Amino acid sequence: MKHEYGTVTTAIVKQLRKIAGEPNVLVDRERMEGYSHDETSVEQYAAMPEVVVTPVTTSQVAQIMKLADTHRIPVTPRGAGSGLSGGAIPIYGGIVLSVEKMNSIVEIDEANLTVTAQAGIVTNELNNRLKELGLFFAGYPMSLETCMLGGNIAENAGGGKAIKYGVTGRYILGMEVVTPQGEILNLGGKNTKDVSGYDLKQLYIGSEGTLGVITEATIKLLGLPKTSSDLLVTFTTPQQAISVVPVLMKQGIIPTSIEFMDYLSTRISCDYLNESLPIEGVGALLLIEIDGIDEAVVEQQLIQVGDLCMEQGAIEVYIAEDANNRERVWSVRRAIAEAIKVYSPIQSLEDIVVPIGSIPKVIPFLDKLSKEHDVLIPCYGHAGDGNLHATVIKNPEFTMEHWLEVEPKILGELYEFIIGELGGKISGEHGIGLKRREFFKEFTSPIEYRVMEQIKRALDPNGIMNPGKILQ
Amino acid sequence: MRIIVPIKQVPQSSDVKMDPVTGTMIRSGSVSVLNPLDLYAIETALRLKEEWNATVTVITMGPAGANRILKEALSMGCDEAVHLSAREFSGSDTYATSYILSKAIRKIGDVDLIITGERATDGDTAQVGPGIAAWLDIPVVSYVASVDITSPSEFTAERLIEEGYQQVQGTLPALLTVVKEIAEVRLPTLRGKKRSMNTTIPVWGVAEVDPDPLKIGLKGSPTRVVKIETPKVSRSCRTLVIGEELSTEVAVSELIEFLEARNLLGQEV
Repeated sequence: MKHEYGTVTTAIVKQLRKIAGEPNVLVDRERMEGYSHDETSVEQYAAMPEVVVTPVTTSQVAQIMKLADTHRIPVTPRGAGSGLSGGAIPIYGGIVLSVEKMNSIVEIDEANLTVTAQAGIVTNELNNRLKELGLFFAGYPMSLETCMLGGNIAENAGGGKAIKYGVTGRYILGMEVVTPQGEILNLGGKNTKDVSGYDLKQLYIGSEGTLGVITEATIKLLGLPKTSSDLLVTFTTPQQAISVVPVLMKQGIIPTSIEFMDYLSTRISCDYLNESLPIEGVGALLLIEIDGIDEAVVEQQLIQVGDLCMEQGAIEVYIAEDANNRERVWSVRRAIAEAIKVYSPIQSLEDIVVPIGSIPKVIPFLDKLSKEHDVLIPCYGHAGDGNLHATVIKNPEFTMEHWLEVEPKILGELYEFIIGELGGKISGEHGIGLKRREFFKEFTSPIEYRVMEQIKRALDPNGIMNPGKILQ
Repeated sequence: MRIIVPIKQVPQSSDVKMDPVTGTMIRSGSVSVLNPLDLYAIETALRLKEEWNATVTVITMGPAGANRILKEALSMGCDEAVHLSAREFSGSDTYATSYILSKAIRKIGDVDLIITGERATDGDTAQVGPGIAAWLDIPVVSYVASVDITSPSEFTAERLIEEGYQQVQGTLPALLTVVKEIAEVRLPTLRGKKRSMNTTIPVWGVAEVDPDPLKIGLKGSPTRVVKIETPKVSRSCRTLVIGEELSTEVAVSELIEFLEARNLLGQEV
């Protein structure tokens, strides 16, 4: 799908200023630089916008979209820019439409257990407010300190608690979306069940900003668990650790999280945080969280799970029950991506997902890839839902040219194995974005790909809505 | 060798709310945890235990729920725990608390070393550790950043002081208050937890500790909190905005001048 795009002229900038107000339109390069990339490699993917607009109301978003559609200017919607697939990068220049200033909670409805909030609210801030009422939004992206609700929905973000609570999409009851033509579309509401026509809401969830701009959402809330505790379990080999996962899942206890961290990921994160977890002689770790309403029940389940890990050959089971210890073990897990990025900014953070029974087959394959191509591939992720973040790191001795040659080769082999042999997918939660679009096309059936193109064409005939993402 | 570690239950710092009228801490409804700085005392004791085959006893004074922090210390590897709990003890200030703890430590007997955290994160006084040493009439070394037991009756330690470190030698028994720098704290293990669940912790009241009734509780506490207030910090700020009126070069040299005038830059610049 090729489109000719218009450029952002001085007249367009003037109109944008009229719509959103002078301070909400940025054109100087230094201030726009931050909007030229997300958390993917800046060297490989960054692209400058022609203008950045930070509207404060849905009506402003609608007017901006109308203007852009009329002049065929590409629009890249953006939340916190914490994405990991290049989804918020304006590869065709044009307008970056950041919802960062649309960050209010519109309504907390305790009777219906819902919250309605604008797309730019930081997920953590939303949960902090809800915590005071004993409630929470169970979508839990790992970047929760920075990411924004709109991005969570656009990427259908998962995270560390998906085995028990599922991913973002499960909790979105209603949504306000601005179409590429600048119409305001209200979908769903506060109903738990709704089969009135096509489920358009689900179409927008995970659409990576390619079908419209999500401006507001109504979220189903849950009662906050009264207690939760963690086990940090060490194993001699990654294979041993990962093999425990399917066994654990059969026990009838559903942990909130089962996170896997191999030695290398944990080492890099510990060094980055100046933390000293007991990992010498350890091949991999599992971080298992259990929550509930009764402390004694949670304690009993922790012991049961811990005992099972010991039976399966764990070296040691550490227990983190108070806030300090829990934060200590979780901060190591949460900091891995950032730490690896500091360790080597040139890398490819992968997001493969496989059926949980196939998880043990992934690690030996990564080892094989690592040896054959002479690169490090630290691996960590949400083992409980088969979603692993293998990170292919550029060997410092490789030239950039060699890296750009070898990286797609490694990824191609990885995807071939994950999809062809294990029935997995190339992305579990980060999305296709810019980074994986070629591979997405290669590994998606032509019919499925064509249906997606038809949807895109029907909703965005001028192709201005986050062009070049998901589909080529 | 016997090592005693007095520990304290404190409100979780992220949970602490202050009463704006009285200026005191609102303890009800907040989650209680083991004083984070006491973890370093426990860790130091456990390392010395491994080296000297010592017995480590943790002791706390507090309400029934404080039992939980003793269990946590046992899960980390401490051998024994004693819980001091009695209505008569409540309201004790640092003077009375250190007195009661010292009486209990005397009752345990044959103590070679007492290790405490630097201070508790709630009261923030750092008085109880040295207070215990005073009541027991043994040497105290505060702000210890490293310790080495050189013989069953002697130790050397490094104290963290404002100018750097101070080397200290002393004889046992002694009391050390330790700082964070002394060690990385280990996590409790599941095995330790299971052991702690099967351990019955003795609770000692007035009958067991046998204190002078005039030195305990509110009436035995000379401290009076007259007022608590948040100190006001005033800061002023000068902003250098690079733009048409101020070039980057001029702004940077003004910033360097500003920092140099306050001796905030190294000699190199």
